[in-house]
Amino acid sequence: MKATSLSRHSFSRRLKGAVLSLAVFGGTAVAQAAQDQAGLIAQGKYLAEIGDCVACHTPQGGRELSGGLPFETPFGIVYSTNITSDKETGIGHYSYQDFYRAMHEGISPNGNLYPAMPYTSYHLLTDADTRALYAYFMNTKPISQENKDSEIGFPFNIRMGLKAWNLMNHEDSVFTPDPAKSDSWNRGSYLVNVLGHCGECHTPRNAIFAMDPTAHFQGTVLDTFEASNITPEELNRQNWTHEDLKQLFTKGYSRKGTVFGGMYPVVYHSYSHLTEQDMRAVTSYLLDNEADIEALPLAFNGHDKAAPGYNTYMGYCAGCHGQDGEGRPNVAPALAGNATLDRTSVYNAVSLLLNGIVSQHYNSTTSFYAMPAYADKFDDQQLTDLVNYMRTTWTAQKADIGVSKVKDIRTNMKQSVH
Amino acid sequence: MSQHIQMTVNDQQVGPVEVPEGLKMIEFLHEYLNLTGTKFGCGAGVCHACTVIVEGKNGVSEVVRTCISGVERFADKKVRTVEGHAKRNSEGEITELTPVQMAFLEHFSFQCGWCTSGFINETTALMERLAKAPVAAADVEQVIEEALKEHICRCTGYVKYYQGVKDLILNTKGLTY
Ligand code: FES
Ligand code: FES
Repeated sequence: MKATSLSRHSFSRRLKGAVLSLAVFGGTAVAQAAQDQAGLIAQGKYLAEIGDCVACHTPQGGRELSGGLPFETPFGIVYSTNITSDKETGIGHYSYQDFYRAMHEGISPNGNLYPAMPYTSYHLLTDADTRALYAYFMNTKPISQENKDSEIGFPFNIRMGLKAWNLMNHEDSVFTPDPAKSDSWNRGSYLVNVLGHCGECHTPRNAIFAMDPTAHFQGTVLDTFEASNITPEELNRQNWTHEDLKQLFTKGYSRKGTVFGGMYPVVYHSYSHLTEQDMRAVTSYLLDNEADIEALPLAFNGHDKAAPGYNTYMGYCAGCHGQDGEGRPNVAPALAGNATLDRTSVYNAVSLLLNGIVSQHYNSTTSFYAMPAYADKFDDQQLTDLVNYMRTTWTAQKADIGVSKVKDIRTNMKQSVH
Repeated sequence: MSQHIQMTVNDQQVGPVEVPEGLKMIEFLHEYLNLTGTKFGCGAGVCHACTVIVEGKNGVSEVVRTCISGVERFADKKVRTVEGHAKRNSEGEITELTPVQMAFLEHFSFQCGWCTSGFINETTALMERLAKAPVAAADVEQVIEEALKEHICRCTGYVKYYQGVKDLILNTKGLTY
């Protein structure tokens, strides 16, 4: 009896203990799962920032990720879609498999996506990262906003055509690190090529509009501006250091000038959020160099007052860029060693003078004023003289740009823009 | 290093005069010609207070900000500043304001007046443009908005400026249809 009662007592005590520990264990598991989920969402948010989803999926003045931003393609206008977690108009009803296919194969539950969505880069995303992104998107604020139909002419409006395009240009492979390179370099390659999808703008396209692998990062004209040649050869020739690139990617400007055009949203929404370590990985990959690079002095070769571009510079440019091209903080960048001038191609230099630049704001202490457009102020000869003047004064480039080159840029740009 | 510059300002031939390198047009107007009606606001091309009129190609006037422009930009050009609008007698006294100046006066458009010369020049250039290429009356507000939107008035007198310009354009023959 005694024994029984004792055992009963100890049994109930043990039972209580077990229930208690179960509850504690269960509670820990739930808390752990919630923490894991929160971590996953945070990771996905970071990845989505590096992927710069906001830039393309947010309409001018509209709500983040709700879609509707128009993209002019050679075939017509396509609109980005609502990728918030809204179940009706967004992607809230996507299963992980649906999401995976959209990201990796460009196939959504509603059919093939246009390659304006860079799945040709995203397909190399690891499964773990795709899951993190999925967790993040499923937890974004749902915004109800219907998608707009694209305005693509026949026959490109037939999405079946995209199947054929994908067959020719797209395969869902995995990211393979280069064993000859460091972990940091490989991380940089992953960030730049996959999530950053830099190649989509900086790699020329072939006849059927796929990225040309033989010209990786060699730069190409996109409407008004040229996405620069960002191969390590060119970046090293221009003496970009890790610090310069870091400044450019976090602040939008460096001692070698500011970003403009399509790179502004990339810096604003995306690259300025890179962690210190990821930033170093990115710059190591882009420069193909892990070691620190010495910053050489920037060129200012003095004014040649007899040169035909001198007076134009003084009359039109020196007010903001400074008499000696020293620039003005929060107004205009300096010109010495300016990367836009220090390139073989003068496309961007000419284009900026013709079209101007919209004002840019980076943070509470850094912004740049809008640069006026001079298309109707300068004729081709004046433009040529000015560009030659600026190149010889502030870079090692020669005054060898002919007026026909400038005329060409102006004419072709008009055609592509209007 | 100095240079010689000449231009026409308010119908008066100026120069050739020796000026130092890097001289901005607003300094030239203030320090060399004593034309201080053109105001210096931001000094960075943003507020448009320092705007003057330059006779552009094909007789179409254009407006230029003088704080960010070197004198070189105006060499051999015809420039109009706020001092060049009203009619004067042989004594130099003002005898008649332009319709633009009158419109702003009648609407009490300005308060401290710092931005006024810019508004007057921009509106004058707009009127001249419309005389050459009239717009539909229904589009007037939009046209004004386009032309004046960059002008900053620190006293925030925009409504009266815009209203003044609108009345003036709609009541001037040949600017609208
Ligand atoms: S003073 Fe020239 S624009 Fe402000
Ligand atoms: S009236 Fe004062 S700035 Fe406009």
